[in-house]
Amino acid sequence: MDTRKKIKTDNNKTKHPQYGMVVDLDKCTGCGACSVACAVENNQQPATPDMCSRTGNTWRMMYKVKNGEPFPDTKAVFVPMFCQQCDDPPCKYVCPQNAVELDPMTGIVAQIPERCFGCRYCHAACPYEARYFNWWDPKWPEGMEKTLNPDVSPRMRGVVEKCNFCHGRWQSARAKAAAEGRRELREDEYKTACQESCPTEAITFGDLRDPDSKVSKLVKDPDTFTILGRLGTKPKVFYRTTRSWVRRTVDRDIYSENKEKVHG
Amino acid sequence: MDKQLQVRGTTRMEFRKFITYLIPWFIVLGIGLYAMYLVFRYGLNHTNMDNRFAFGLWIYFDLAIIALGAGAFFTGLLLYVFKREEFKSVINSAVIIGFICYSGAIAALVVDVGQPLRAWFTLYRPNAHSMLAEVTFCLTLYLAVLAVEYVPIVLKNRKLKQIPSFLVFEFKLHKFMPILAGIGALLSFFHQGSLGGMFGVLNGQPFSFRETVLVFPSTFFLFILSAIAAGPSFIMLTTWLVSKISGKKLVTKNVFMSLGKISGILLLVYVLFKSIDSLYWLNKTSPAVGFTVADHYGYAPFGIWILLLEVIVLGLIPALILINKKFREKMHWLLTGAFLACAGIALNRFVTTIQTLSLPTLPFADFLTYSPTWEEVAIFLMVIAYGVIVYSFSFRYLPLFPQERELNSK
Amino acid sequence: MFPWVHEFRPELGHLIFTGGFAMVFVIVMTTIVIVFKKVYEIYKQRAVEKIAWQAAFEDFPTFNKRCRYEISGLFNERTCNNYFDCRECAVNKQLLEKGIPEKALAAAGDDGNTEIFGLNIPLDRMYHRGHTWVKQDEDGNYLVGLDDFGKRLIGKPENIELPEIGSKLHANGTAWKVKRGKADTRILSPIDGEVIETGDPEKGWYLKIKSEPDNVDTSHLLKHGKEIKAWFMKELERLQFALATDGVGASLADGGVLIDDLPKSNPDADWDGVYGEIFLEP
Repeated sequence: MDTRKKIKTDNNKTKHPQYGMVVDLDKCTGCGACSVACAVENNQQPATPDMCSRTGNTWRMMYKVKNGEPFPDTKAVFVPMFCQQCDDPPCKYVCPQNAVELDPMTGIVAQIPERCFGCRYCHAACPYEARYFNWWDPKWPEGMEKTLNPDVSPRMRGVVEKCNFCHGRWQSARAKAAAEGRRELREDEYKTACQESCPTEAITFGDLRDPDSKVSKLVKDPDTFTILGRLGTKPKVFYRTTRSWVRRTVDRDIYSENKEKVHG
Repeated sequence: MDKQLQVRGTTRMEFRKFITYLIPWFIVLGIGLYAMYLVFRYGLNHTNMDNRFAFGLWIYFDLAIIALGAGAFFTGLLLYVFKREEFKSVINSAVIIGFICYSGAIAALVVDVGQPLRAWFTLYRPNAHSMLAEVTFCLTLYLAVLAVEYVPIVLKNRKLKQIPSFLVFEFKLHKFMPILAGIGALLSFFHQGSLGGMFGVLNGQPFSFRETVLVFPSTFFLFILSAIAAGPSFIMLTTWLVSKISGKKLVTKNVFMSLGKISGILLLVYVLFKSIDSLYWLNKTSPAVGFTVADHYGYAPFGIWILLLEVIVLGLIPALILINKKFREKMHWLLTGAFLACAGIALNRFVTTIQTLSLPTLPFADFLTYSPTWEEVAIFLMVIAYGVIVYSFSFRYLPLFPQERELNSK
Repeated sequence: MFPWVHEFRPELGHLIFTGGFAMVFVIVMTTIVIVFKKVYEIYKQRAVEKIAWQAAFEDFPTFNKRCRYEISGLFNERTCNNYFDCRECAVNKQLLEKGIPEKALAAAGDDGNTEIFGLNIPLDRMYHRGHTWVKQDEDGNYLVGLDDFGKRLIGKPENIELPEIGSKLHANGTAWKVKRGKADTRILSPIDGEVIETGDPEKGWYLKIKSEPDNVDTSHLLKHGKEIKAWFMKELERLQFALATDGVGASLADGGVLIDDLPKSNPDADWDGVYGEIFLEP
């Protein structure tokens, strides 16, 4: 029985689930387990000494954001930044060879490395710096290739890649459901690697269309916001914090201004 | 034999001297080719670009030389379609400069992309919404048109034209120049514009995002205007440079003055629209998404001075120099104006590419700087060396300047 | 772009985009195809030489394209737009029908002087602007030779490449080729016709051209004494100009007469350039 009530979104009128994520910045300790889990899940090439934070491959970049005050008032928050799965993705619009697509089945912004020729125009288009280019030929230490995830194909040198909400996991979950004769996935069937690995359970993931899902309840919380929401890209990844300094630092859309509007 | 290949009635430096002069350029070309090998063999990690600074020296260089190469199509348009006969004396040179600029830009692009062998995907299944797809189409077709325009000049080589069929082919092809010039202009308008549009559509980058006018962002029109304003100036500068190096008078001064006048008028129009666009962007477009002047010009070294330098010192001033007949009549003013105009357009392309990527968009990201590696510089210089070599050979063996013989008689 | 490509969407923008480029591609390709077709047609009509001359003519600076009637003073200013082929010139036809050149040039008479600056210009023959002359022989065929001006310019050529007997020549096409030192040039044929005999510098003529059943059309050649002399004066002017170009300014005259073998007396001058200028091969 389908109990799902449809939420209206602006530009996507499909009946399919639209996956989204909420990251609770108050729970995140910046341990980086999500980045490691992501790398293992998605067959990311191991870093070599030549790589730096901006040339290595990780689909989840961990930013340490400080409040700028001198000691002892220094405070810091960790912000994991990854593809925000925009509903109006600027990268899709600019790609000359259709290597970026917005999957109507899931709402996931798909990067198709087989079509990509590495012009990196999408890097310039993405305000979240969430796209990663393969600057090196991917190499795994001997024996380590046996640990590769068979559900995810590794990418070659010279193409762009990024977070796809563990699309391989979605496919295997679908296959399993289909074997049981179901078309729809249950909420607990499809989890991303970062979500599973997070020790503080800071990551909530699920269908934004389903009003009963944890994630769509969290999105309605006034403390949940998007980063750079005003640019109009309609991200499907949200962040949440109750600390006002964090909100002010991380959310560009001036916090106080919004507050005034709410109360006024 | 060497003399037999040169244009009748012109003198060129001795063959040995010519080769000696080219040797350094061939060395630069060789180093560039080695750098190219490194990039193709080992990947783009030989550059200093990174995931945020995804475009570097090469893209800037492409945008700049494509803008300066606009002289080719614009002079062709003026000559063949608007029948401004005085430009007959520079058209051959302009076509070759255009060909060098465009083929050089494509060479740099081929190194720049990660998988150049897949570039044909764009032609086969393009994303019609992408400005870059439009650029790819226009560049490919326009380079073909430029090559077709280059062929008649090559066939006019003294030895080649002794083969009657070559001369006949050249003659008949020449009759179709207005069509090719028209098509070339159409393609050029679109790709010059699309190169600007490429950055104007980036709604994720408030520094380069612009309002839309008739489905295209305003930078689309500004890039067309600035390219056709700088193109004639660049033709003037290169002709003057060749004239200085070869020690020959190549065209009459009135041609220079015509080029300068056209450049000046267009530059003035451009500066006007650029100012309106900048003011609108700083006061409306950008504040609407929460970005203020300080976000764009608050990071050293890219202060507000860079905008003022671009619009006033390298925009308004050369425009005023070039539209003023008194200044135009003096050669040094004419050249100063042309140089400033070209520098202004080069700076505009720099700001569009490099400053856009330097500025942080994420509230917690840093301002970035970037400096190219030796490989990037070597390939950049390689394209310049390639241009010098192609132009030198063309100047030596092909009739580029029909007025040359007349002007160098006693 | 193509309908058979996976996920082709016939949206309006997409159709305009790809249609526009397809159109441009078609136009460029059609242009090239048409050019090739035209070249092929020219081959079939055996008009290659004619078109090649026309292509060369277009490269002349305006002052090299003066109409013969400007030189002889009938017009103040007129630039030739018929590739020096007066047979196809409407203006020439009109003038000839009214008999104007006859009256103005022949009636002015010539003083019987056949020498300009030591140049020997016999008036019993017709001159072509590429410095050849045509004269009807006793047997009715035409003799073609190099005029005195041309002879002195070339001097003693090292190599002369004459056409084979039986080959067809076209007016303003290549008649023969000469080489002198580092310079070489082709000599334009003054008339149409078949070569039946070849001569050499010693004989004073180079080619014998078969007379067609009717006489060959020679209306494009310079005939009248006044016209011929005016033209030679202009040619001397052009020679001065050509020699002044680039460096060595050669002295042409030796006591008022043109030197016999000009290249020999001025070996440093750019004779290649001069030949190109005078023999109309840019």
